[in-house]
Amino acid sequence: MKKIIVLIMLLIATWGNSQTKQDSINTYKKRVLEDIEIYFLTSYYTQDGDNAAVTGGIGTEELTDLATNIVISIPLNDDDVLTIDATASSYTSASSSNLDPFTRTEGADGKVILIGSPWVESSGDSRQDIWFNGNVGYSHASDDRNKIWSANVNFAAEYDYTSIGFGGGYSWLFNKKNTEFGIKGNVFLDTWNPQSPIELESFSDDQDLNNGFFRGVDILDQNGEVIDKNGTNIWNPVSTTLVDDKNRNTFSVSFSFSQILSKNAQISFFLDLVQQNGWLSSPLQRVYFADRNNYYIGNPSSIPIYTTPQNIDVFQLADDIERLPNSRFKIPIGMRFNYYINEMFVLRTYYRFYTDDWGVTAHTLDLEIPVKITDKLTLYAAYRYYTQTKADYFAPYEVNLSSQDFYTSDFDLSDFNSNKYSIGISYTDIFTKMHIWKFYMKNADLRYSHYDRSTGLTSDIISIGFKSIFK
Amino acid sequence: MKRIIYLLIAASLLTSCVAVKEYEKININDPDMVLSSLKFSKFETYAQVYRESASGANGGKSGGGCGCN
Repeated sequence: MKKIIVLIMLLIATWGNSQTKQDSINTYKKRVLEDIEIYFLTSYYTQDGDNAAVTGGIGTEELTDLATNIVISIPLNDDDVLTIDATASSYTSASSSNLDPFTRTEGADGKVILIGSPWVESSGDSRQDIWFNGNVGYSHASDDRNKIWSANVNFAAEYDYTSIGFGGGYSWLFNKKNTEFGIKGNVFLDTWNPQSPIELESFSDDQDLNNGFFRGVDILDQNGEVIDKNGTNIWNPVSTTLVDDKNRNTFSVSFSFSQILSKNAQISFFLDLVQQNGWLSSPLQRVYFADRNNYYIGNPSSIPIYTTPQNIDVFQLADDIERLPNSRFKIPIGMRFNYYINEMFVLRTYYRFYTDDWGVTAHTLDLEIPVKITDKLTLYAAYRYYTQTKADYFAPYEVNLSSQDFYTSDFDLSDFNSNKYSIGISYTDIFTKMHIWKFYMKNADLRYSHYDRSTGLTSDIISIGFKSIFK
Repeated sequence: MKRIIYLLIAASLLTSCVAVKEYEKININDPDMVLSSLKFSKFETYAQVYRESASGANGGKSGGGCGCN
C-alpha cells in the first residue's frame, strides 16, 4: 500500500511538471485544413486457392475485384472539417457463384441433367456483385487544437448484406502536443438478406425430393447408384431451418495513446474492445459431416475424384450451412513505432496481438521502409507476417460431426500463417505545380503486393492513388 | 491488477519524458512518420479483414459493415 501511494505521488509530481510547460494560447489560429483535399484510390485484386467455404472447404477460391475509393475533406471553417468517403467494389467470384453450381440441360429422353462442380465457376447470379460503402464524418478542433471531437455515419450494401453504422470520438493532445489520448465508439447495425446453397434452400421449403429444384433430377449415393427418393436411404440435411435471425450487430470502443519519444521517434498503442451479436455465420457456406452419408448430383464416374480439380461434373449435396455462436468478443491490441533514420530512410513498424472467445489468437508484424530517392520520389518496401490459431468450431471438409452445436469449414477461421510482400513508389509535389482546372495534384502513389497463405491461398493487388487539392 | 496499475503509471510517466517543440518536429511531421496505415494500402487492409480472423487495433475499422469475419 505504501509503495502504491509513493508511486501515485511521483506520478502527480511528474504529470504536474509536464503541464506547467504548456504553450500559451496563440493569438494566430491556423486552419485545421487549408483547402479541399481529394484522395482517389483504385485497385485491382485477384486471388486463387483450393478451399472455398461456399463448397464446404474444397473447391476454387478464384476471385477478382475492382475497387475504387474517393475521400473528400472539406474545411467548413477554421476549426471544422467535413469528410466524405465513398467506395464501390465490383467482384467476380467463382466461389460465391457456386451457391447454385448446377448447369441444367435436358437429355434426349427429356430427363433433366444437372452437372456442377466445386472446381468450376458457375454462371449463376451470385457470381458477380457490387459492394457500396459511404461514410460521412465531421470533426471539430478547439481553438488551441488540443481537443478534437468527431462523429460519423456509415452505410454499406451488397446483394446479401446491408449495414448502417454511426460513431463518435474524442482526442486530447497535451504536453506541447507530444502526447495524445483518443477514444472512439462505433456501432454497426447490420442485416443479412440471406442467400443459401440452392439444394438447402429448396429442401427447406417443402422437404420433398420429388418437387421444386429436385423434380426429375437423379440423386446418387457414394457408389454412384441412383437413390430411391421415396426410400430410406435418401439425402436429408441436418436442419431445415436456415437463417432465423437476420440481424448482425457490432459494438466497439477503441482507445489510442501516442507519444513523441524524440525528434526522430514516436510510438502509439491501440486497444479495441469489440462485441458482435446476431447471425455471425455466413448463410452461403456449406458444411459436410464425417458421420453422414454422401449424396451427389451429376456424373457418377467423377465421384472418386470429387476432391480434385479433375472433377468438373459432379457436386455433393450439403449436410448443412455453417453454424457459429451468436456472440463474439474480440480484443486486438496494436503498437506502432516509427523512426526517422535520416533524410533518406524512415522505419515504420507495427505489431498486433489479437484474441477472441472463439479460440482464435493471432499475431501480426508489419515492417515498412520508405526510401526517399529524391525530394519528390519515394520508394516503399514492406513485409508483413501474420499467424493465427484456428477457431474452436473449424474443421476441414468431411471432418465436422453432426452432433456438434457449431461448425464451419471456412479456412479463414483455420490455423495458418501468411506472408505479404509489397513494393511501391510515390511522387509528391508540395508546390502542386501540375493542375487540371482547379485540381492541383499533390501526390501520386503506385503499389503492388503479393500475399500467400499456408493454406494455399495466394493473392495479388495493385493500387493507384492520387491526392489533389481544390483551390 | 498490480500489473495494470504499473503499466498505466509507466505509460503516464512517458508523457513527461520529452517535450519536442513545434519547430523541432520537422522529422516527426514527415508524411511517412504518420502513426497510421498509409492511404494507398486501404484495399490491402480490406482484403486482410476478409481473409483473416484478426482485425482492428490499427486506428481503423475493427468490425461490422460487412458479412466477413
